[in-house]
Amino acid sequence: MRQSFRGRASRTALRRLATGAAVLSLGLVTACGGDDGDDGASGGPTLEVWIMEGTNPDAGPYVAELQAAFTERTGATLEVQFIQWADAHDRFTTAMAGGELPDVAEIGTTWAPEFGAAGALTDLAEQIEADGLGDDLVPGLYEAAQVDGAVYGMPWYAGIRSLMYRSDIFAEHDLQPPTTWQELREVARQLRVSEPDMIPFPVSGGSEYGLYPFVWGAGGEIAEQTGDGQWRSAINAPEAVEGIEFYTSLATEDGLSVAAAETWLETDQLESFQNGDSAMVINGNWTVNTLIADDPAWADRIGVVPVPGQDGGFSPSFVGGSLLGEFGSDEPELAWELISMMTTGEHAAAWAEQSGYFPGQQSLLEEVQQEADPLVAPFAQAMLEAGASLPVTDRYGAIQGEQVVQGMLQSILSGDRSAQEAADEAAAAMDETFGG
Amino acid sequence: MAADRPVKARPPRGGRAPRSARRAATGRALRPWLLLAPALTVLAVLLFWPLARVVLLSFQDYGLRQINTGESNYTGLDNYRDILGDSFLWKTVLPNTVFFAGACVGLTLVVGTLVALLLQRLGRVWRVICSTVIMMAWAMPAVTGTYVWIWIFDPLDGVVSGGLDGLGLIEPRETNWFTDRWSFYAIATLNVVHHGFPFVAITLYAALLTIPRELPEAAVCDGAGPWQRFWLITVPTIRPAFAVVTILSIIWDFKVFAQIYLMPGGAGANEDVLNLGVWSYIQSFSRNEYGTGSAIAVLLTLLLLAITVVYVRALSREKDEP
Repeated sequence: MRQSFRGRASRTALRRLATGAAVLSLGLVTACGGDDGDDGASGGPTLEVWIMEGTNPDAGPYVAELQAAFTERTGATLEVQFIQWADAHDRFTTAMAGGELPDVAEIGTTWAPEFGAAGALTDLAEQIEADGLGDDLVPGLYEAAQVDGAVYGMPWYAGIRSLMYRSDIFAEHDLQPPTTWQELREVARQLRVSEPDMIPFPVSGGSEYGLYPFVWGAGGEIAEQTGDGQWRSAINAPEAVEGIEFYTSLATEDGLSVAAAETWLETDQLESFQNGDSAMVINGNWTVNTLIADDPAWADRIGVVPVPGQDGGFSPSFVGGSLLGEFGSDEPELAWELISMMTTGEHAAAWAEQSGYFPGQQSLLEEVQQEADPLVAPFAQAMLEAGASLPVTDRYGAIQGEQVVQGMLQSILSGDRSAQEAADEAAAAMDETFGG
Repeated sequence: MAADRPVKARPPRGGRAPRSARRAATGRALRPWLLLAPALTVLAVLLFWPLARVVLLSFQDYGLRQINTGESNYTGLDNYRDILGDSFLWKTVLPNTVFFAGACVGLTLVVGTLVALLLQRLGRVWRVICSTVIMMAWAMPAVTGTYVWIWIFDPLDGVVSGGLDGLGLIEPRETNWFTDRWSFYAIATLNVVHHGFPFVAITLYAALLTIPRELPEAAVCDGAGPWQRFWLITVPTIRPAFAVVTILSIIWDFKVFAQIYLMPGGAGANEDVLNLGVWSYIQSFSRNEYGTGSAIAVLLTLLLLAITVVYVRALSREKDEP
């Protein structure tokens, strides 16, 4: 990575022009702010780090403290830039083309294999091993960073989706949160009768993460790696289809959702919960903080349980989160120093607490669970006991980009296809991408 | 240069043009180019070079790795073969693009013309009010406008479903207009026409002002009705303006992107509603297959060029006939 650096610098200007122009001509340019990583005025080296905006609602004090601590420890200046999740992927791509990548950046877990395969990320396996951190990382998150023995990012923080319900309404009608799939259906049916104006359980066609627990919970897989390292879709195998069928039938057969939800994204679903329209939703632990921040009364209105298993236990849920990756920095030691500062110990715990996410370090996560906060512990439990990860390959990033799973959901929910037909089509689309 | 020399050595017979005059002539010929040079340079950098890059990319298998390393990876015509051999292009993407653009261009022109005629007949105060309102529709960014239309047609909280529910025509809990290809595109058409007609109306209104007043007056004396006056006087006089707004509308409506991409399901989840622009974006930026995306963009450009050339030739032929 470091050897290629000189060549990279000389090509930079031309490539920046070329690709910037190519992007422009498609008429699709998204905001790409120019920034030149000048050395800081203080004379010491400067490290540039990108962090996603909005994870931590008030990140200012955290950043100030981190900058001070980093300068104190290393003498280097830390330059922090906040970028938007919505266009972050495009930002990274254009920065890659222009040779303007930061030294260290927060990346979504599913991007690690993608950017790793492109050769943009540095393998951190050695550093993690040297510092003896490997055994204390949350498995679902750590797995997502590992491709063929390389580790393309250090787990920073994570979240998981669970079943959130309106505890006030459940109490009013003397209902218990479901512990099996059948109970989920029953409870929703009772809600439909007792709260006719509410949506008992919206099945959102634009949110793949609401479906995955049911695929995994029925014993299915999204895709499997065959002996030769190739991935093959398993979304149309009988177990997976059983899960898909159950999840979508809540809408198509029992009418526990609404037609509008066929095109809802996860954010639309949260909005309907927040507006008091929905009684149960599958949503992330980070949204609890958002709800309570908007209106403290929510603390008495929400209940949380892990997504129930088919016949008890829990259905596995996707551990989504962020890694800190090093983008071929010319100060690799400083970069690792920063990464380990942010992902372990006090700074990691502070970030997790302020943002409403869970730390990527197992020991810190167990501490959180032991605090037994009713709105936090069920998520932590789900993460420790039923965390799952998506196929770790750059091709799955392309499949997500193409929205194959959402397309499958929407065609079932709108009645165009049966679960099996739609799953067969999705599997074919996935295999085409895996194969290519 | 070497080939020039013998010619120079033997001046043409009766060649009265001495060297100085010839130099002056060269200077005169060069001068416009010198004056144009800055603009041409800007065009070359901003338009020609990116266009050339897209064409070059379209012959490559170009992914994130190539972006990161800057390598080339030429694969000949593979991208074009894949796209043109894909029934998805012929059954979904191309019909969506062509019919949607056709409907939008037609409706934009009809509405724009009617509004221009209205503006011509209004008194001063109402004309100012109307044109201000029209300008506001025009000034609204496409993204904002799209979100407004999505909200208007929101099945649960939107005004349209609220109204239809009030009349007892639909059941909002069982309605979603965004999943069906036809209703999806009907909403997108409303959005694009609403955003596009003001330009047509204002341009045509300006053109209407150039019609000498005597013409319609004479026609009235000859007993022509309003319909005849429109087709025999107004339309022929403002034909050049019509040509311009039609070509521009065609170009704009073929490459509609935000108005589709931002609609629920329009970003790829609903395959039935993809058009060429969105498909190209998904291939490039969602799937990191920049080569395929570029090839689609090139095809879109060629399609537009073909339509424009045919249209312009048809127009000039029409002009020559009478």
